[in-house]
Amino acid sequence: MIRQFALPTWGSKMTEFITAILTSLSSGAIYALMALAIVLVWRSTRVINFAQAGQAVLTTYIGYTVIQRTGSYWLALVVAVISGAIIGAVIDRFFMRPIFKRVKSGPIVMIAPVVATLGLLGIIQAIIGFIWGLTNQSIEAPVSTGGYKVMGKVIAFSSYNLLVLVAVAIAMLLLTILFQRTNIGLALRASAYSPEIARLSGIKVDAVRTLGWAIAGASGGLAGMLYIPGYFLYPNAMDLLLVFGFVAAVIGGLESLFGAVAGAMILGFAINFSTTYISQKLFFPTAFIVLVLVLLIKPSGLFAAKKSRGA
Amino acid sequence: MSKQVSTKKRTLLFVAFGWVLLLLGDRVGDLELYQGSFVATYALAITSIILLTGYSGQLSLGQSALMAVGAYAGALTIFNAGLHPIIGLFMAALVAGVFGLILGLIAARLSGPYLAGTTLALAISLPTLANQFPILGAEEGIVFDVGLPPARFGEDFSQYKWFFWISALASLIMVWFIANLLSTKYGRTFRALRDNPIAAELSGINVGRLKVTAFAISSGVAGLSGGLLVMLISGVSPSAFPLSLSFALLGGAVVTGLYNLKGVILGGLVLVAIPEIADSLVSRIGGSEGFITTLPGFLVSALLILAVVFTPNGPGHLIKRHHKK
Repeated sequence: MIRQFALPTWGSKMTEFITAILTSLSSGAIYALMALAIVLVWRSTRVINFAQAGQAVLTTYIGYTVIQRTGSYWLALVVAVISGAIIGAVIDRFFMRPIFKRVKSGPIVMIAPVVATLGLLGIIQAIIGFIWGLTNQSIEAPVSTGGYKVMGKVIAFSSYNLLVLVAVAIAMLLLTILFQRTNIGLALRASAYSPEIARLSGIKVDAVRTLGWAIAGASGGLAGMLYIPGYFLYPNAMDLLLVFGFVAAVIGGLESLFGAVAGAMILGFAINFSTTYISQKLFFPTAFIVLVLVLLIKPSGLFAAKKSRGA
Repeated sequence: MSKQVSTKKRTLLFVAFGWVLLLLGDRVGDLELYQGSFVATYALAITSIILLTGYSGQLSLGQSALMAVGAYAGALTIFNAGLHPIIGLFMAALVAGVFGLILGLIAARLSGPYLAGTTLALAISLPTLANQFPILGAEEGIVFDVGLPPARFGEDFSQYKWFFWISALASLIMVWFIANLLSTKYGRTFRALRDNPIAAELSGINVGRLKVTAFAISSGVAGLSGGLLVMLISGVSPSAFPLSLSFALLGGAVVTGLYNLKGVILGGLVLVAIPEIADSLVSRIGGSEGFITTLPGFLVSALLILAVVFTPNGPGHLIKRHHKK
C-alpha cells in the first residue's frame, strides 16, 4: 500500500528501486494473508467470504482491546489469531452451514453465499460500531516504523515492514507444513479435491470445512494485526484489503495456496511499481488491469487446477 | 416458469401504473416525490442486476461502476456538449451499453467468482479513474443539471415533481422494454443459459454471444439509472458510486427475487425505506453515535440474510412453491 508518510527527496534511482521492491514485498505479504483466507474458504466451501474483512477487523479490535488492557502487542497478536480462528469456525458452523442447507437450487445458489457473507460483513461492522464506536483507533507498532537508511538515504522500509515480512513468511511455512506434512493437511486437501471421495474414505468433511474456515479466520486476524499499525482502526478499515486479497486470489486461480501468494506478490509489485514510476493515481486501476490481463490469458487464473470440479 | 403476460396486456398495465403514479405525484409533498424518484432509480438499477444475474447467470459486483459510466456520459453530454437533458440520459444508457459490450467480451470468458472478482476490481478502480482526467472534474465532479421544469406545466410544478416525472417515466419505459424483451425468444434463451449452460449450448444457443448481449443491455440499463441518480443529486463525482452501492443494489435484487421483474419496485422501496426507518427508530430510542450511524447498515444486512434464508428465490417463489413438481 502507499505509505502515508512523505518520502524524503528521491536521491538516486537505485534507492527508489530498492524501496519499490521492498514495499512491494511487504504490501504483497499482507495481500497474501487475505488471499490465503479467501482461498482456504473457497477451497473448502465454494464461498467467496466477503465477511472476511469484517472478521479480520473484529479480531483486530479484540487485539486492540487486549493492548489497551495489558499493553502487550505480542499477546494481542496471539489473542487476535486465536479469536480469528474461533470466529471463523463459529461462522461456518452456525451461519453458513444452515444457509447451505436451505439454499439448494436455482441461480440463487451462485449468489446466496455472496449475499449472505456481504450481509454478515455489514452486521459485523455494525456490531463493531455498537461496541467500539466509529472513531479511528490506532495500534502502536511493536517495533520502529522509521525507514532504514540505505546509502545515506532514508527509504520507506522500516523494521516494522521487515517484521511483517518475517511474520508472513513464518505463517506460510506453518501452513505449508500443516498442509503437506500432517494428516489434518491431507484431510483438508482431500476434502477440497473431492468431498464425496473424502467422505467415503472416512474423513469428516463438514468438520474439515469448518477447520478451513478457522485457519482462514486466523490468517485474517494476523493480516489485521500486521496491517492496522501505521493506519487507523475503524469498522471498514480492511474492506479494500479484502478486495485486493480477492483480486490476488483470483489471479492465483482461487484453488492453490501457492497461487494466492504468487498472485498477491504479482499484485504488490505491479501496484507499487506503477505508483512509483508512473502515477500515484494508478493505485486502483493497476489492480484491475493486472487482473484483466491475467484472466484474458488464463480465464481461471494462473495456478488453477486443471480438472474443473464445477464451481 | 411463470405464465407469460401478453405484450398488449403488459403495456396496458404499465400505462395504468404510470397513470397511478401521475395522480399520486399530484397529491404528495416534495419530500415524497424526491424519495419516489430514488425508488424509481434504484428499481431500474435492480432491473439491470436481475437481467444479468437472474436471467443470464452472470454475477456482477460492479454495477455501480457501470452506473458511473452512464452518469459521466450523461453529464458530459449535458454540461460540456450543451445538449438537451433527454439526450443526456439517452447517451448515459448508450455509452454505458457500449462500455458493457466491451466488458462483456471479457466477462463472457469468465465464470462465477472470476467474473465477480473482475467486476469488483472494476467497481473500485473505475471511479478513481475520473480523477485522472480534468474534463471529468476530479473529486469535485461535474454538475448534472436537467434544468427547470418546462414553463407550460405552470408555476406550481416543483423541481422535485420534475425529477419524479423524469425518473419514473424513464424507469417505466426501460422496465417495460426489458420485460418485453424477456418474454420473447431472448428471455427463453437467457433462462436456458442460466439454468444449464451446457444444455443451452447443445440446443444451438450461442452462449458466448448471448452472455455478451445480456451484459451490454444490463450495462445500458445500469447506465441510465446512473444518469438518473446523479440527476437527483445534481452532480456526478467518484464518491457518488461507492462499492457499497453495488452491494446494496445486489441486496435489493435478492429482496426483489432474482427470477422476475415484478418486484423491482419493492427492491427500490426497501433501499429507500430502510435508512428512513432506521432514522426514525434511532430518534425514538436514542443511543450512542456509533449505534445511530451503524443501525441502517445493520438493518439492511439483516434483511439481506433473512431474504436469503427465508425466500431464497424471491418473495414470489413462496407463493408459487406448490405449483412446482
